[in-house]
Amino acid sequence: MRDKLASFFRSDPGPGKRADGTTVYWIIASTASALLLMGWLLPWFVNDYSAGAGYSPQDALVSPPTGIGTFLIYILAVTMLVIVLSPLVEAIARSRGRPLGPRADRVRLIAALVGFALTVVVWFLVSIIQEEPLFGPFVSGTYTDSAVWLTMYAYALAALAYGARRWVVGRQTLAFSVAALPFGIFLPLMFHQAPVFLIWAAGSLAIYMLLALGLNVVVGFAGLLDLGYAAFFAIGAYACASFASPVHNIHLPLWVLIFLGAAIASMFGAVLGAPTLRLRGDYLAIVTLGFGEIIPDLATNNALNLTGGANGLSGIDQPHLGPFDFSLSPRWYYWSLLIVVIAVIVLLRNIERSRVGRAWVALREDEVAAAATGINTTTTKLLAFAIGASVSGFAGAFYGSLVTIVSPDDFSFSVSIAVLSIIVLGGIGNITGVILGSFILTFVIFWVLPNMNEWSATLSQTVHVPAIANINLSNYTYIIYGVALIMMMLLRPGGLLPSRARRIELESAVEGESLAAVQGVA
Amino acid sequence: MSDQSGPLGAPVAGAGSTSGPRGSAMLVEQSGLAQRQGQARGLFGGIGSVVRVTHGTISRYFTSVLVAMIVVAVGLTLLQHGFTLMGNQVKNALVLGAIYALVAIGYTMVYGIIELINFAHGDVFTAAGFFAVFLSSTLHLDSLATGSFGGLLLALAIVFPLSMLAAGLTGVLIEFVAYRRLRDSPRLAPLITAIGVSFLIEGILLVLEGPDNVPTSQASWITGTAVKIGGVNILWTDVFVVGMALLLMFALGEFVRRTRLGKAMRSTAQDRTAALLCGININRTISATFFIGSALAAAGAVIYSINYGDLKWNIGFHLGIIAFTAAVLGGIGNIVGAGVGGFIIGVIYVFGGSLFGGEWSEALIFAVLVLILTFRPVGLFGVEVTTRA
Repeated sequence: MRDKLASFFRSDPGPGKRADGTTVYWIIASTASALLLMGWLLPWFVNDYSAGAGYSPQDALVSPPTGIGTFLIYILAVTMLVIVLSPLVEAIARSRGRPLGPRADRVRLIAALVGFALTVVVWFLVSIIQEEPLFGPFVSGTYTDSAVWLTMYAYALAALAYGARRWVVGRQTLAFSVAALPFGIFLPLMFHQAPVFLIWAAGSLAIYMLLALGLNVVVGFAGLLDLGYAAFFAIGAYACASFASPVHNIHLPLWVLIFLGAAIASMFGAVLGAPTLRLRGDYLAIVTLGFGEIIPDLATNNALNLTGGANGLSGIDQPHLGPFDFSLSPRWYYWSLLIVVIAVIVLLRNIERSRVGRAWVALREDEVAAAATGINTTTTKLLAFAIGASVSGFAGAFYGSLVTIVSPDDFSFSVSIAVLSIIVLGGIGNITGVILGSFILTFVIFWVLPNMNEWSATLSQTVHVPAIANINLSNYTYIIYGVALIMMMLLRPGGLLPSRARRIELESAVEGESLAAVQGVA
Repeated sequence: MSDQSGPLGAPVAGAGSTSGPRGSAMLVEQSGLAQRQGQARGLFGGIGSVVRVTHGTISRYFTSVLVAMIVVAVGLTLLQHGFTLMGNQVKNALVLGAIYALVAIGYTMVYGIIELINFAHGDVFTAAGFFAVFLSSTLHLDSLATGSFGGLLLALAIVFPLSMLAAGLTGVLIEFVAYRRLRDSPRLAPLITAIGVSFLIEGILLVLEGPDNVPTSQASWITGTAVKIGGVNILWTDVFVVGMALLLMFALGEFVRRTRLGKAMRSTAQDRTAALLCGININRTISATFFIGSALAAAGAVIYSINYGDLKWNIGFHLGIIAFTAAVLGGIGNIVGAGVGGFIIGVIYVFGGSLFGGEWSEALIFAVLVLILTFRPVGLFGVEVTTRA
């Protein structure tokens, strides 16, 4: 039993493979750095903010930075993003079969220069849209004051990313990264006026990231299509709302609830999956699709008098953790979500490389052959489905506590599709790809589309073309999801960052195609 | 409707698999599994055998159980609410069932031939409905249809073929663009594009038609009461809906059974490789299947709009899930089964709603889907080899 558990949680690369932890460490490092950065960078992109109830006013920074300060910050922001994410550049190069090797430093330099050029362009555009002089006065404000700090912070993060990555490869950078670690983590806490609403945005990004990671287990690892993933999310959130609010006058702490939510969701997953997973995968798709529709419907109709109908449940408790009061600032959510995302990545990465993970791959590739080698197909598939559901329930409980109000609209089918689009876009079955995908898609869906109207209005005023103002892209979310799914599947079925197994599979599929043509199989 | 073999029914067994028929019937394999587990553990073994026996019994008598439950539901409605309401509900159930049946046939044909759940099918239904409304407003058919009986026939003769043609071509286009190239990829790929196409169509309809219910003028086309049986008004619309659906289904059955193309469809569904070796143009046959399925959905949509008088951008989505349940109930791949399944699901939907309250109707249909998959995954008319693990 103990061995089994150990093999479940410990990375086991399989016979003949070196057990290095490089990949997982750099995934963690870049995710952590990128999340940290999101929390810090987003404020400069958002124009308005109204402080939410319960948050202390000094947490809110209302006015965006202007003039030269903006310029400085944009340069820093993009440059350090490039530096921190340069492991990604290397990964892309490796995935194309041409590792950077000695060229790495040059590539990094070029990437940083490109980043700088992009920065100038963005800065230019922003000053046009905001109608401000390109080289305005140096505004002495929070952002510009903290610019210096931000630089140090960025390089600390970069060091952290590199250090963690080289941790197992070369010991010489260990000291550096150890030194950078507390610096990187605690620096944001030094800023009293942290841009809370954007930490908030980063928090919801982290929630979507969790969802995508969980769905990736079902769709990517086990190759089952789950179209009702938002239902498990809803179950977790409603569990949180029921057990930590005045609704039933039960007040459990969030730290119990996240696991309770996960347990309840995985129970639902097992009940739903048990009859379906004995059959072909297609049935799972339609059953989960139905389930994803039924759960919000039942919640809307207040079917068992538990869900509060269309208004949902509100007044969810916000937890304490020692001296940290979550109700005062969502910063603590941000930190706890950051830790949770990292923990989930480690866990899933190890499950992927464990015995169970290999069983999933075998099942995905050929179910009959897998069954013949002694894999219990139903149990293995059910395990994937239940793990996926539990991650969703986990995220749901966090979400409920973060937003303090849950209503059926938050869990509609389009949430499931958004999560599916994230993993299809990023790379099915590849954790790094999934994280990349969640960055891209949450950015487009939650920031670009809602702001599109405002921008088109401003732009049409600036360039005096009234037609531009009529472009309203917020209705186009469905079309964007649809086109993204179709185009990715047709043109780049492995996603932006295909997993290695998937890439090999796709390459062999091409050979198989010619073989099929010879055999005359259409 | 009494033909039990089903034009596309039996063939589903080995369709798409190049390695010939896989002998292991689902049900056999599954009881073997239960047995293994039963021997392994004491307490769970006991529970396992109880579960196995119960499961086996329900599976064997699934049809009877279902029919008995429907009879009980109808009886309860009669006792609680009297004859008039019961009769009205039966009428509603048949009308709804006719529409489900028409949509279910499209699902079942496509699944029978390429083993793909065509998620976009329900949205083709919606799009066709809106197209028909567009047609009747552009061609000013409303005044024609409400003017005289001949005018009505003419209007129907314009709207039905044109919207069926448009929907059929849309279906062919969807297959060509989104599914054809992925026919040999891993199973996940075409399913994901299917859901993508579904979202794309819904998105387009949302942009074009707005987020609210759109009333259609076609509701005024057919008026008047046909017969009155003990307080139950059977309107001409109801007669039209059910009659039209039955007519179309009969025509489809004859087509699949008697024509060369129908024969090609059946053989392609049975074994694609062998069909190819016999000189059947696989691509054309699959396109034809999509055309017919989508055209029937379009007919269903026109009927829907005439009967209910409004459309919404996403009605096809829910309707699609329900119709798919009907197709599974009838045995996926089996056209006659889909027709009968549609009517049964209509009855369950309407009477479930009147017994438990309308908000439970869809949950009930979903429960039926899970129950079918648990106890009788091959459906009412399916042959046991239709599914393999």
